[in-house]
Amino acid sequence: MVGMMIDGAGEEADELVTPGEFLGEATQLVAGKGAYVSGRSILASLTGRRTITPPTPGSSDNRSTIEVVGHKAHGAVPQPGSIVIARVTKVMARNASVDIMCVDSKAVKEKFSGIIRQQDVRATEIDKVDMYQSFRPGDIVRALVLSLGDARAYYLSTAKNELGVVSAQSISGGTMVPISWTEMQCPLTGQIEQRKVAKVD
Amino acid sequence: MGPPPTLPTSHSFSSPSPKTLQETKTPFEIRFALLSSLSIQNHGMRHLKGEIGVVSKADGSALFEMGNTRVIAAVYGPKEIQNKGQQMNNNEALVRCEYSMANFSTGDRTRRPKGDRRSTEISLVIRQTMEACILTKLMPRSQIDIFVQVLQADGGTRSACINAATLALADAGVPMRDIITSCSAGYLCTTPLLDLNYAEDSAGGPDVTVGILAKMDKVTLLQMDAKLPLDTFENVMQLAIEGCKAVAQYIREILLENTKQLESRRGS
Repeated sequence: MVGMMIDGAGEEADELVTPGEFLGEATQLVAGKGAYVSGRSILASLTGRRTITPPTPGSSDNRSTIEVVGHKAHGAVPQPGSIVIARVTKVMARNASVDIMCVDSKAVKEKFSGIIRQQDVRATEIDKVDMYQSFRPGDIVRALVLSLGDARAYYLSTAKNELGVVSAQSISGGTMVPISWTEMQCPLTGQIEQRKVAKVD
Repeated sequence: MGPPPTLPTSHSFSSPSPKTLQETKTPFEIRFALLSSLSIQNHGMRHLKGEIGVVSKADGSALFEMGNTRVIAAVYGPKEIQNKGQQMNNNEALVRCEYSMANFSTGDRTRRPKGDRRSTEISLVIRQTMEACILTKLMPRSQIDIFVQVLQADGGTRSACINAATLALADAGVPMRDIITSCSAGYLCTTPLLDLNYAEDSAGGPDVTVGILAKMDKVTLLQMDAKLPLDTFENVMQLAIEGCKAVAQYIREILLENTKQLESRRGS
């Protein structure tokens, strides 16, 4: 009775599953999100709808991936290699502290702490970086997660063209317009301020 | 054993008349009066009722009732670890659990709802039980908080708390190995009884609480107070496991029903 066929489209119709239910053999399927491998079988770990995605063409493994799509995805957690949007909270001589707000275009439920070290701000001349001319408190930056970091914060990097300050407010309060890799201009006063600017397409 | 109940005892058990209680004074005689008025057809599991999403602010929440015992559970997480000093293991999520009883949950208004020895012990028991089933390795450096509050206590609060916590975790979308369910069983007048209420629990017989991973048939919690001979214990434990499986069946139905409702509301 558990897991009725909803679609009625045939035997492969997606059904609702609950944690612990058997989804398939590990020899025939790959466990995706919401599923895990126990011994030789794949079991569900979330409550939701079971979906099977065919294997990507050209991959060595020709098994389909089975996933369980829950109705409530638990909030995003930064992973090494993901692009995050963060707000700068503190700028110091050798690093800048940020609050991570979005991970890969999904907002987090609660803020995570991140840190951008002096050597990770840009790719060239990393020992001559001036943190105050790269970031200011309140700036919104796009960064890449390098690693889980230490107990206090994730380690982030802006050492790419498309990473850096995306939006910033000038001293006079206007939202600044980027004019080069290192400068942004306030539309109200015409003042130019230094930032590590991201190249937004 | 737990504090006294608020309401009269379960349906198959008639409370002794006031006249009987007045005549018998000693604890043994009171117990005898209670037992003799017990109708010893085992009433089986008490009436179950579960509801998901009762606390809107929490990531996941559930209300669970077993007979007259009502328990509410709220889950917050996974989120960043608040107290960095508590972070033992960098590769796993930290699971925290807090059990408390509302002041009005028992017959006499309790003074200290949490912090006393019984609450600390039950918090630890629930935490260990849920930690065994959450896939903590998937969420390193995060924390999952489970808060369980007893609104009405009539025996079996431990089991109701675990069942409510399972529902709340499933509602929050926390990945789990399986659904954990729990049920208690006892042994009175040479009869195994399932799902004891407070009166049956305080009658002096042993109380066995079992928590299992329903589909995988693995025991994660086993507690007993008082003593039992081994073969009797096996019968009582088997009865409790059957009760757990019945609860698991019910919990699965609730989860599926809830998901179907959410999907239809979302229009998919």
